[in-house]
Amino acid sequence: MSVMPLIAVLVPALGALLIACSGERRANVREFWSVLSGVVLLGLNASMIPAVLSDTALQCTLFQVLPGIEIAFRVDKFGLLFALGASVLWIVTSFYSIGYMRTLQEHAQTRYFACFALALTATTGVAFSANLFTVFLFYEALTLITYPLVAHKETPEARAGARKYAIYLLGAAKVGLVAAIILTYNQVGTLDFRAGGILPSDLQHPELLFLVFGLFLFGFAKNALMPLHSWLPAAMVAPTPVSALLHAVAVVKTGVFCTLRVFLFVYGEEAMRNLGVDQLALGAASVTILVGSLLALGQDNLKARLAFSTVSQLSYIILGAALLNSNGVTGGIAHITNHAVSKITLFLCAGSIYVSTHKTEISQLSGIARRMPWTMAAFALGSLSVVGIPPTSGFVSKWYLALGTVDRHAQLGANDRFSLMLLGVLLVSSLLNAIYLMPIVYKAYFEKGFDSSEDEQIREVPWMVIPLTITAVASLLLGIFPEPVLIFAGSVLP
Amino acid sequence: MKFLERQLGDPSRRARLKLGCYVGLAVVLLADVAVPLVFHEKHTISFESWPAFGSVLGLIASVLIVVVSKTIGKLGLMRRETFYDS
Amino acid sequence: MTLEWVHPGLLLILGAWVLPFLKGGSKRAAMLLLPAAAVVVCVYSGTVLSPDNYGKISFLGQQLVFGRVDALSLVFSYVFSAMSLVGMIYALHVDDDAQHVAALTYAGGALGVTFAGDFLSLYVFWELMAISSVFLVWLRRDATAVAAGFRYLLVHVFGGLVLLAGIVLYANAHGGSLTFDNLGDSQHSLAWTLILVAFLVNAAAPPLGAWLPDAYPNATVSGAVFLSAFTTKSAIYVLIRGFPGTEVLVWLGAGMALYGMVYAVLENDARRVLAYDIISQLGYMICGIGIGTQMALNGATAHAFAHIFYKALLFMSAGAVLQVTGRRKLSEMGGLYKTMPITMGLCLVGALSISAVPLFSGFVSKSMVVSATGDLDWQASLAHRNIVFLLLTVAASGTFLHTGLRLPYFMFFGEDAGLPAREPARNMLVAMGVAATACVLIGVAYPLLYWNLPHQPVDYHPYTAAHITSSLGLLAFTGLGFCLLRKQLKPQPGMCVDTDWVYRRLADPCLRVLRGPLTRFEFGFVGQIYEYVIRGPVLGVARWLCRFDSRVVDNTAMGAGRWTQMVSGKLSTLVSGNAQHYGLIMAAGVLTLIVLAMFAR
Repeated sequence: MSVMPLIAVLVPALGALLIACSGERRANVREFWSVLSGVVLLGLNASMIPAVLSDTALQCTLFQVLPGIEIAFRVDKFGLLFALGASVLWIVTSFYSIGYMRTLQEHAQTRYFACFALALTATTGVAFSANLFTVFLFYEALTLITYPLVAHKETPEARAGARKYAIYLLGAAKVGLVAAIILTYNQVGTLDFRAGGILPSDLQHPELLFLVFGLFLFGFAKNALMPLHSWLPAAMVAPTPVSALLHAVAVVKTGVFCTLRVFLFVYGEEAMRNLGVDQLALGAASVTILVGSLLALGQDNLKARLAFSTVSQLSYIILGAALLNSNGVTGGIAHITNHAVSKITLFLCAGSIYVSTHKTEISQLSGIARRMPWTMAAFALGSLSVVGIPPTSGFVSKWYLALGTVDRHAQLGANDRFSLMLLGVLLVSSLLNAIYLMPIVYKAYFEKGFDSSEDEQIREVPWMVIPLTITAVASLLLGIFPEPVLIFAGSVLP
Repeated sequence: MKFLERQLGDPSRRARLKLGCYVGLAVVLLADVAVPLVFHEKHTISFESWPAFGSVLGLIASVLIVVVSKTIGKLGLMRRETFYDS
Repeated sequence: MTLEWVHPGLLLILGAWVLPFLKGGSKRAAMLLLPAAAVVVCVYSGTVLSPDNYGKISFLGQQLVFGRVDALSLVFSYVFSAMSLVGMIYALHVDDDAQHVAALTYAGGALGVTFAGDFLSLYVFWELMAISSVFLVWLRRDATAVAAGFRYLLVHVFGGLVLLAGIVLYANAHGGSLTFDNLGDSQHSLAWTLILVAFLVNAAAPPLGAWLPDAYPNATVSGAVFLSAFTTKSAIYVLIRGFPGTEVLVWLGAGMALYGMVYAVLENDARRVLAYDIISQLGYMICGIGIGTQMALNGATAHAFAHIFYKALLFMSAGAVLQVTGRRKLSEMGGLYKTMPITMGLCLVGALSISAVPLFSGFVSKSMVVSATGDLDWQASLAHRNIVFLLLTVAASGTFLHTGLRLPYFMFFGEDAGLPAREPARNMLVAMGVAATACVLIGVAYPLLYWNLPHQPVDYHPYTAAHITSSLGLLAFTGLGFCLLRKQLKPQPGMCVDTDWVYRRLADPCLRVLRGPLTRFEFGFVGQIYEYVIRGPVLGVARWLCRFDSRVVDNTAMGAGRWTQMVSGKLSTLVSGNAQHYGLIMAAGVLTLIVLAMFAR
């Protein structure tokens, strides 16, 4: 019994409390609590690395509701990778938020920072959950906590967007997950996460299990699988640091994390293959990947384009895991981290552009690199990573995913029907990524604009530029030194 | 450049240049015919053993290339410069 | 870790990023020192080191080889590093750091591709070349260049993705090994086809090669010089390495030679003529690779080597004219021999080289490929040999016609267009002079090149009497044809359409579909479902619940409250404080109890 996971979950909550107490009047103290909680959380997560790497169990059962249904934590490599990524990016986003909020003189900053911290509690809770029940509680808590963040601006559009956000996520969870969890408990008798799955090897009621899988897959709507993806573009009404949180730190990553937990720790690779549910997941993921990229092409609003890009990229993770082989799963899990770092760079840049110039549409960005060199350089680097050009981090996950599709092709031999099509989907999507990201870069650098006298006033905000430069460099470094991520990612299905 | 301008600007000089070119052509043609007869070399390619193959091919090929290319151009390959500007 | 070998490519790539931090004289010195150092490293690798695999690194579970040093990679490394030096001399006057960084990174990437011993490191440098070279187009900063650069980048990203697909399939078929060598053992498999296609994209083979004449004329003046050398020749290198003797390449190469020639005869933009001529010359190299005998491969290598110098020289002169007069179209030039005689002279050296005039580099290189059609080691019928020989010789005549004669004639001679001009900057002339010297040197002292060719001994002797007279005959009578048909060859304003028509014309309708129907479906249809099926009912239920709460629940609560009040009001009379009432109540209570006790039994 180790209390470390519990402490890690509670630290951001304590931070939220301190933030709320500091209030609007003592803003600097409040910001200090934000950053301090982030650093402490990162420290706690990092301290768990040696134990997790040596396969020592760090468990903590809080209490039992029913036999087999309990609130418990267990830290394994997969969860720790996720938690580490979230805690690092929380620190980066905190500094960025400070710059953003103060430059725009936003209202309700205390509520913002407090909810942000609570969101990290929920995320850490998801990462360290030992069973479906715990993960469900924290998953729902995350939706509720992020609602005020999405609705932050309190305009009618913000409220409508937040409403859509909540309805999709809570609705899918209530309709899908509750039923799925109950049915799973009914069939199996336990909700624990176990490597290789908890389903018995003689699968009775395969149709029911198929249905339950579908309920899980679409119930975790935070994974933005089509057709339950519309909440993500709708949530663009949030301030950019919240979008960064949504897309990179917490929300969508929670969705795919939980989905992968179901794939690998509830169903397991054998069961998935025998039930044929991997094909369902592969199909849904492929459609999402392609349609998401196609929709991104048609958006002129920068954040909308990035939102659809995220919808598409998340399904890379689901696709990788559904390939059910070592390379595929490694690629999918590595992409959780690699995409997070690259996408957060792009969102932070979008916010930086908005704060400095109040421009939101891509067609307005001609020549902006003249005035915002650091931002656009980071954006260019982040774009290269999303497209998957070596030596960036995006290439590493794409490499493993491609190997995974080919492995599946070889594994299935004559029975294989569409593994090579999956390879094609990945590559076509990469091409589409280049088509919708590169114009932003070349417009910013090589088209004429922003050269009038009042544009001389445009300045980049240091509080914002430093974090985005850090994440951009990180996406490059993770491409050159991918070992840290790969050690964790490769451990789930060796 | 003054030298070149003098050579090419003056019509009488140009006429002499032209004559020189024709003489050169004749010499080359003769050599192309004579040399293979003098130096017997084995060729795998059939054409290489034909007399004055290079010269004949040069003339025929250049005319053919110009004619065929211009025809293809007129048939639709050649467009106005602003073809892609919509 | 002992430093046995320094990668010249990494030297250029990392050194390039130092340039923006230097100023003035030290920057210019660095611009020259970096490529010079690369040349030194390459020569050192060739003379001192023994052929081996250097620079082995473990990455992503693979064994990467960054330094495969053998005869083939060395000869290409010599010419790439030398070209990077010549190019930097030419670009010395350019006041744009981004161009210099891009150019050196690009050259470094080409060296990386050359020394790559495995597919993964090859891929990394392949993509690096694409990304860095596009800047040489974009940095021209006008609208056509920006659009052309974007198309260039997309074609190369596409080629890179095809290559990646081929690589992963190849790795899987070979038990995870990624060693890059002759792919002949897996001929016609999907992996083989994909990798070949990807290599051919970079080698500008039709129908995938339209990016070259689209992008190169739109590059910067000095950028085009770099572009002409690296992408296409590194593609030739990897083709020699991976696909020697692939028969389809013989016909593709011969076809390319003629394809490029037809366009070059018609085009008006000077650099576009040169771009199509690149395709034509690449055809020779690819044809040689297809023939696959030792002589043919030597010929392809020699031709690539010589081609880099004379094509760069031609691009440099066209670039000089562009720089000085601002003109790119042949129809607007003429008479420049009066004002730019040195440039004209150097351009003529390049023109004579490309035309394979004796004593120039093309004569000792192109003819090796053409002679390889007669090589008895090549298993082909006499008919095939004759056809290929004929096609290549016709293309040679064409080369002299469009680049040896037409281009310099209408640029420097012809009708005087009266353009104000002067000689270009001195560094540009020096660079051109170096390239011209190389062209003549290779032509005259050809054993210097032959000793470095991969397959020794080189059993080819270019300067035989028959060969000299035959070449002179071909050239002389092509010249006659030019003189007779000069009017037909006069450059006309206009542009030829190439296979990029497909994606250039399709782009707009596709985007319109995406922005229109698909987006409308997403926001309209799917969004409307959300609106009517979900949001409407949910909000409706919420409103109903609100009403329920305010009317029923509230009223119930209120009602309960009122009733309680009433009861307590009544009850409060019980507590009036009147003693008689208490007495009466107590008596009534006791009486009730007695009655109950009596009747309970």
